[in-house]
Amino acid sequence: MLLTEENIESVIPQRNPFVMVSDLIEATPLKFESEFFVRAENIFVKNGILQEAALIENIAQTCAAGFGFLNKQAGIKPSVGFIGAITKLKVHHLPPVNSQIKTTAIVAHQLENVYLIKGQNFLDGKILLECELKIVVT
Amino acid sequence: MEKSKIIETTKEFLSVEFEIDKEKILPENNLRETLELDSLDYVDLVVVIEENFGLKFNGEDFVKVVTFDDFYNLVEEKLAQKK
Repeated sequence: MLLTEENIESVIPQRNPFVMVSDLIEATPLKFESEFFVRAENIFVKNGILQEAALIENIAQTCAAGFGFLNKQAGIKPSVGFIGAITKLKVHHLPPVNSQIKTTAIVAHQLENVYLIKGQNFLDGKILLECELKIVVT
Repeated sequence: MEKSKIIETTKEFLSVEFEIDKEKILPENNLRETLELDSLDYVDLVVVIEENFGLKFNGEDFVKVVTFDDFYNLVEEKLAQKK
């Protein structure tokens, strides 16, 4: 475990109630992995189910945490990033409250300051959502 | 790879990826304008180039590419260097 709920905000710009990542498990230049516990009070929970927007945001924040962690390790000031595009989105299932989801974000390609990320969220090994994100880092 | 094969392959994957008629992909035409590329689309272009030619393009490479013919020449050059 690289970062937990207690200190993850040190590497991401989001603040509650918009933090959609709990723990950073792995961070390498090519892959980030995180976990996220779905609480009933999450602003994206509707009828006891976390909505797809939160899963996409979770992938983006997994990248933010990963990049932020690597920058911090290297003594570099955290960069600001934003989602430039979301493509190849497939929603398979949505998680209920009190579930712990696992997320992987693979850095598939990079061109200058634009990163192509292949992201997936899982619950108990079952895929929830997958998509590609173009993240622009400034 | 022969230049004619590079042209044929390029027309095939660009027409699919960027949903454009193959007839619009002419050597003298401007690549960015014809494909209506914005800065984010260049990442998609990098991906399909790598998938089809096994070549890695970077930002500097695209500075040299204005027309499709510039692109074909650069692919030919990079493939020759790869050998």
